[in-house]
Amino acid sequence: MQMAPQMGYDRAITVFSPDGRLFQVEYAREAVKRGTTAVGIKAANGVVLLVDKRITSRLVEAESIEKIFQIDDHIGAATSGLVADARALVDRARVESQVNRVSYDELIGVEVLSKKICDHKQTYTQYGGVRPYGTALLIAGVDDSKARLFETDPSGALLEYKATAIGAGRTAVVEVFEADYREDMDIEAAILLAMDALYKAAEGKFDASTLEVGVVTLEDKQFRKLVPEEVANYVQQILDKHSTPESEE
Amino acid sequence: MRTVSHRVNTKKSYGSSTELGKSTSELLILKPEGYPLNGMIEEYPVVENRDVFEFYAREQWNGCIARKGDYLFDRRMFPDFAYRIIDVEPAESVIGITTSIVVTEEESSLFPTTEINSDVVFDDVIGQENAKRKCKLIERFLDEPERFGKWAPRNVLFFGPSGTGKTMLAKALANKTNVPIIPVKATQLIGEYVGDGSRQIHQLYDRAEEMAPCIIFIDELDAIALDRRFQELRGDVSEIVNALLTEMDGIEEREGVCTIGSTNRVHSLDAAVRSRFEEEIEFVLPKEDEIRQIFESNIKTFPLPVEDCDFEAFAKKAKGLSGRDLVEKVMKTALHQVIIEDRETVRAEDFEKAFSKLGKNEPTKDPSGLYV
Repeated sequence: MQMAPQMGYDRAITVFSPDGRLFQVEYAREAVKRGTTAVGIKAANGVVLLVDKRITSRLVEAESIEKIFQIDDHIGAATSGLVADARALVDRARVESQVNRVSYDELIGVEVLSKKICDHKQTYTQYGGVRPYGTALLIAGVDDSKARLFETDPSGALLEYKATAIGAGRTAVVEVFEADYREDMDIEAAILLAMDALYKAAEGKFDASTLEVGVVTLEDKQFRKLVPEEVANYVQQILDKHSTPESEE
Repeated sequence: MRTVSHRVNTKKSYGSSTELGKSTSELLILKPEGYPLNGMIEEYPVVENRDVFEFYAREQWNGCIARKGDYLFDRRMFPDFAYRIIDVEPAESVIGITTSIVVTEEESSLFPTTEINSDVVFDDVIGQENAKRKCKLIERFLDEPERFGKWAPRNVLFFGPSGTGKTMLAKALANKTNVPIIPVKATQLIGEYVGDGSRQIHQLYDRAEEMAPCIIFIDELDAIALDRRFQELRGDVSEIVNALLTEMDGIEEREGVCTIGSTNRVHSLDAAVRSRFEEEIEFVLPKEDEIRQIFESNIKTFPLPVEDCDFEAFAKKAKGLSGRDLVEKVMKTALHQVIIEDRETVRAEDFEKAFSKLGKNEPTKDPSGLYV
């Protein structure tokens, strides 16, 4: 249907609808749902980010699709939504953390960084002539010997989670976490739980080559991505777990 | 502006009745037709008191010859307002002081209780089991409405992509049941003027209630049940939606009236209208084996024989096409091509060609790479 001009409250991001909604910002959240699932989960000894990438063609080099980024030594981020917006935000986050180092000669806190990103996103919901970012970020890291995990959404809202997910499979993953998450899990158990959740969200389309895992441990406070062999090892455990009961049926 | 010479049936042109020696009319049925010319006059006379009108009409048309199909023009209060003679008894008689004059309104022809003329049966609709089950329930209800009481099925919504058999199923239902089905094109319910829409919806349900038990099938429901957020888009949206809301589940119970709405834009429906539907039945694109069945069942009606076709392979190719696409775009195209080329049989490559003509009309996917 052709929308006549000046008909709706979704013409400009800065105009509230009578029931108090900013439609363009809500639509930006829909853009996040178009992205594939990204999962963050805190463990007793660190924090983990997992993503499930969508490979549209076998000609694509899978490594060129990035969903997990290192922001600073001790911080990583997983994204879901518009790819280009994600890169712009990641760039911004990296600069912010370097600015913090130069200004204060110390590492930026995970919460401080998340708030800076959210402040930036928020300005894109309040001024004319711009559009909101179509990307949500999961920012995970360690500060003061504590694991932190934040979700930033296109409105600039900020929430800290024990475990959460963004993107297409969010509902399915969160369902699994609601049921099975425990705070005393170690990193391995957390990875397995998150992979299990991703497996359910992906409805069986599960492959080590499309998974990426990033970890920050309390011990070394260093963000690192797991190498493909490590990921494949975890994936195999999940596949084994799911294939046994099926064969019994 | 008045063109007196065009008038027919006036005393001037025909003279008195006695000269022609015709009998006096017993019954005259008239229908208001409006003015011959369109100008600034906005007045549209409505007959208020039928008895008084009868005397008024008899007096001014006394002596005129009434022929079926002719026009009579008012000469007093609304000069040149025309009435058409729908029927006169006896034919070609003269209006006199004993003639009964009846004025009919035109609305009666608005919603035809067509028996939808089709030979579609439930089995022709392939797949969509869920919808078929509900239709069977509706059928049961219409057979014995008193047994259901307040638990009767009242409003059912069919939705899904175009070409998946929503209208076809309604046709099959109409074919199967003995109750009248009132097919309504939603666009038909929107009138020319603000106010027409709601009036016509109320009339539709009034009429349906008279005929109860019956089914109202509203095709392309989104034309009238548009979300009221779009008020600015079309000024009468609220009015029409509210009329529909009160009719579907309002103060007055419309007993024995079952409404089936069909739309392929379920998200633009008004939320309140949507909630009035006790069941929403989704029509989905056919799966591979359903595509094969569609092929096989339609091929039976082909006027030309078909040679060595592998429907399994076609079904794989046709994934993502709706039933209508299959029949209209693939099968029909292939058949027409064969007829043009004066060949006697339809072969596999004819279908292949039709498929390739479809081009890349796949259902729109996410632009790959834009989202991660």
